[in-house]
Amino acid sequence: MRKSALLAVIVLVAVLAAGCSAAGGRDAATAPSATGAASGTEASAASTAGSVELTGAGASFPYPLYSRWLYEYAFVNPVPRINYQSIGSGGGIRQITEQNVDFAGSDAVLNSEQKAAAPGLMMLPTVAGAVVLAYSIETPSGEAIANGLRLTPEVIAAIFLGQITTWNDPALVELNPDTVLPDREIVVAHRSDGSGTSFIFTSYLSSVSEEWLSRVGAGTAVEWPVGLGGKGNEGVAGIVKEQPGSIGYVELAYAEQNGLSYAHVANREGIFVEPSLASTTAASNAAIAEMPEDLGQVLVNAEGAESYPIAGYTFLLVYQDMPDCAKAREVQGMIEWMMSDEADAYAEELLYAPLGDEVKALVLEQLEGLTCEGGQPIP
Amino acid sequence: MVHALRRKLASRIMVTLTALSAAIAVSALLAVLAFVAIRGAGALNVDLLTQLPTPVGVPGGGVANALVGSLIVIGVAALLAIPVGLGAGIYLSEFGGNRFDDLVRYLADVLSGVPSIVIGIFVYNLIVSRQGHFSALSGGVALSIMMLPSIIRTTDEMLRMVPDTQREAALALGITRWRTIVSVVLPGARAGVTTGILLAVARVAGETAPLLFTAFGNPYWSARIDAPIATLPHTLFTYAISPYSDWQSKAWGTALILTAMMLITSILARRSRRFA
Repeated sequence: MRKSALLAVIVLVAVLAAGCSAAGGRDAATAPSATGAASGTEASAASTAGSVELTGAGASFPYPLYSRWLYEYAFVNPVPRINYQSIGSGGGIRQITEQNVDFAGSDAVLNSEQKAAAPGLMMLPTVAGAVVLAYSIETPSGEAIANGLRLTPEVIAAIFLGQITTWNDPALVELNPDTVLPDREIVVAHRSDGSGTSFIFTSYLSSVSEEWLSRVGAGTAVEWPVGLGGKGNEGVAGIVKEQPGSIGYVELAYAEQNGLSYAHVANREGIFVEPSLASTTAASNAAIAEMPEDLGQVLVNAEGAESYPIAGYTFLLVYQDMPDCAKAREVQGMIEWMMSDEADAYAEELLYAPLGDEVKALVLEQLEGLTCEGGQPIP
Repeated sequence: MVHALRRKLASRIMVTLTALSAAIAVSALLAVLAFVAIRGAGALNVDLLTQLPTPVGVPGGGVANALVGSLIVIGVAALLAIPVGLGAGIYLSEFGGNRFDDLVRYLADVLSGVPSIVIGIFVYNLIVSRQGHFSALSGGVALSIMMLPSIIRTTDEMLRMVPDTQREAALALGITRWRTIVSVVLPGARAGVTTGILLAVARVAGETAPLLFTAFGNPYWSARIDAPIATLPHTLFTYAISPYSDWQSKAWGTALILTAMMLITSILARRSRRFA
């Protein structure tokens, strides 16, 4: 009996050892290739191609654009193999703080706590996005109301605070004398997950409404006073599409691609502006005077007659001093290219608003200041 | 008379209700399969199976790297989980009978109920965080943890179904204990154990959550185990939530590929049981 128990232990240990050595052996066998050239498939490609591997992660909003940019950039400069994955702004900030990635993407501006946790982390805007108020409502006679319902900051805040609850509220009727609004309840749609889109929208509401600022505040996830939650831009777009009488905030690209109608919003000058790439870039240009030194600007409620007020930058986060000079050079080259006219054309094709020229100049200036391996200049 | 009629009626109603439930359960599966097949067929083409991904606005492109990547990650997971799972199953069925194996069984059941994202975060902290980079290996480890409970439990149960008389007969012939297990008990339960393993593979093949923070994803070809790697469920996820119809249609194509892979594995599992 003792013998059999011993045997059992031996079998188990042998099996466990087999399992562990399978893992350990593979790891050890492939470890040298991580530092050396690369695997066989890469070596057979051009000798320089893929010799530097960059990994980035973060914001999902710019993911389609970044994947396009990196695809096109590979034709311009085949040296780096750049892998950007969409894991959300919060995830990106965490990964770059723990230095598991070489760069990160974020739609939200770093707060002071995050800055303290990752000293030397720079915020570099790449493109701007517009958050639109999408709705699906019909006139009492059954016609869908198209783009261009006019909304003021006060009315938007009141709707999202649950103070305006029907579409034929006097405040809405007064703003839209030419549209017959139905006697229908307003269904508010918002994000249920943490998101950069929510950060832009709640920052906007906080900047235009004292009551919003004190009751709810700005953030990637807040306590919504009213409404239905949807996961992701696609979730909110889905609610707006399916629910008659609904209104929600989504990125411009999602509204366009889903064929949703969206509102014209009164900006700081009181002018109703249609959300578009041009009006978003206009906001970027107009807000340059208020640009903070670290470029971490929340681009809402910008001055200027042509500025669309609910806009925001998406940022790349990189360390001012990177631990690897070869990687630092490629990061620098990549972001420089992102500021080019060629890159702008791809951005516009995918409905992202290019930065204003002065913002680009500031980004390029920051890039000049990059160093590596403890203060050395980039090779 | 009235009593009998009432009982008959009640029986009829209940049988109808249970049949209806069965029909609903089956039709849900069929509806999902049909939906994926119809939407996915339109997106399925040679490019999807052989090309690297392309971004929005660039025609063509596929998920070939994710297909290979999924096979690699699942392969790593199987390599880790099968020996350990089999060993644990053998221990429970052949050498158990004490309090320790009740505990193991209980913990295996608990583990199978742990949300997959939690396993992903655990492996992230265990491997990714320490190594400082994402890797196919960490994805494989995460999936192997998810496979373990079902391999342990099916091995345990299948070995128990081998009649004790066979073990006793072998031992009576003077065959050693370990020989009995390897040559009598395991072959007797081979079909059931294989089925358990294949079902465990099919189960993890579609997992996205444990791969988000481990295998990470990669737009390029990569067969390296210490580098980020693309997988089908993760590619499907990123494509599906994008606003562009181009990517959404590729998501349906990817869903079809993934479903077909899982269906084939399940059918293999069933066949292996039939030819026991």
